[in-house]
Amino acid sequence: MEFIYLIIIVIGIYVILASSFNFVIGYGGLLSIAHPAFFAIGAYTAGILARDLGWSGWITIPIGAMMAFCCSIVVSLPALRISGDYLIIASIGFQLGLIEVLKNLKITGGAGGLSNIPAFLVPQIGSAGYAALVTVTALLVVLLLRYVAHGPYGRAVTAMRDDEAAFAALGRSPMWLKLWVLALGSGIAGFAGGIYALYFRYVTPEQFDVMQSNIILTMVMVGGMRTTWGPVVGAVLLEILPQAITFLNLPPSVLGPLQGIIFTSLVLIFMFVRPGGLVSAGQHWHGSDYGPARRVP
Amino acid sequence: MTKVLEIKNLNKSFGGIRVADDINLSLTAGRVLGLIGPNGAGKTSLFNLAFGNVKPDSGSILLNGTLLDGMTPHQRARCGLARTWQHVRLFPSLTVLDNILIGARGYPGEHLTQVLFRPSRLAAHMKGSLEKAYGILERCGLGSAAEQTLADLPYGRQKLVGVARALMNDAQCLLLDEPMAGVEGQLYSIMQRVVREVAESGVAVGVVEHNVAFIRDLCDEGVFMFAGKILARGAVSDLIADTQLTELYFGT
Repeated sequence: MEFIYLIIIVIGIYVILASSFNFVIGYGGLLSIAHPAFFAIGAYTAGILARDLGWSGWITIPIGAMMAFCCSIVVSLPALRISGDYLIIASIGFQLGLIEVLKNLKITGGAGGLSNIPAFLVPQIGSAGYAALVTVTALLVVLLLRYVAHGPYGRAVTAMRDDEAAFAALGRSPMWLKLWVLALGSGIAGFAGGIYALYFRYVTPEQFDVMQSNIILTMVMVGGMRTTWGPVVGAVLLEILPQAITFLNLPPSVLGPLQGIIFTSLVLIFMFVRPGGLVSAGQHWHGSDYGPARRVP
Repeated sequence: MTKVLEIKNLNKSFGGIRVADDINLSLTAGRVLGLIGPNGAGKTSLFNLAFGNVKPDSGSILLNGTLLDGMTPHQRARCGLARTWQHVRLFPSLTVLDNILIGARGYPGEHLTQVLFRPSRLAAHMKGSLEKAYGILERCGLGSAAEQTLADLPYGRQKLVGVARALMNDAQCLLLDEPMAGVEGQLYSIMQRVVREVAESGVAVGVVEHNVAFIRDLCDEGVFMFAGKILARGAVSDLIADTQLTELYFGT
């Protein structure tokens, strides 16, 4: 049973990561690769505060999220000022740089990773309770992002993605909007990081490398970009699939590379067969306020 | 009459080509000014310079006495400047109604803090914006097209959506870049009426247009541009009657 709870918790964390990444890359059209870097910032911040200061996860997880939110603003301010294409380069650089920093700082435990993070909630409510809590949290995050992405804010984000100059001509700043979209997405990734660190109680820099970006991107693309439930479907499917493969009793030397091959093949197959993903978004943005309420008699 | 937009000693060259050669021009509240001239005369460039899409080499631009120099396009728009585009530039991912709603000024739903912490305020604002958007759509003859997507709309109607979006912005100065290109028949008279009404409501309107009949019927005044220079300013019928200008226009 413990194993099932573990998978549920991991799925919940990836649902949060994939949904927030979808908000940035799908709705916002911002090609940032560094989503796992903000995941790492949240994880390390929450972990270090819990271990060294003995603070409860109820405080350290939100602080981790805030930290990721603020770091995102600092990183994207210069990158977005230049031009959209520079964001992808800046984000790769930031992610690689951050991993090196984490590997070489004493406070983060260096390359060996951050260990001895105190347990949070699991001793009181058990893994089952934590799994339930993570599932509810993931659902709330998905609904929050739907509320934002399909309300007036999402309309502005969609318009900005379509045509920046025309959007600016209506008195809106494309740069600030991009900044907030990235900050919100990154803050939520940091939030997922805190949940992750306090459950596993051990994090290493390698867990947040470019392979992680690949996994989250695959979840969004296979599930369905610019949809509410696409990233959820993608996260569930791509977490269960590797677990299913382990039942094939393949040697570990084959299993590891096989997962990478599966993720990459899935992206390639979907690009040709079903470019919209499993849950395909319509061609047009739909407001949640659609329907009779929108009509003025 | 109050000058809304003032362009003073504006100069701009792209390499060796002068698109603005010491331009002095003002737009007045409640009046429509037509910009005519052959292709490459610098008409659209003048709009781009006024809006901050292109930076001038020298000169300055004022809106209601506020110096716009150095401002980004979105800051100028906030000061009360609006424009349409020669190639429409609507938002294809949005429906017609959403394309209009996005033009609304100071929409609280576009601020993350308001969205997250004050949802009740959004609902109240939404209602007001919807009423206004439907009003503008009706005026532009687009009432039935509200929930349609742009791909379903003929080009002429898309042009009207572009104007409607700019109207939603409540600007004091509206620059229309070839509003009639691709607009025919019934839509022609709608466009004419809409622009007329906007001017009558006290907005200063500038129009770049190749359709001389439209300019003559609509504009209170016209300027003739050639090679980045303003050659003449006066009644449109006088400009058209001037054989020298007609020769420049047709390149004979």
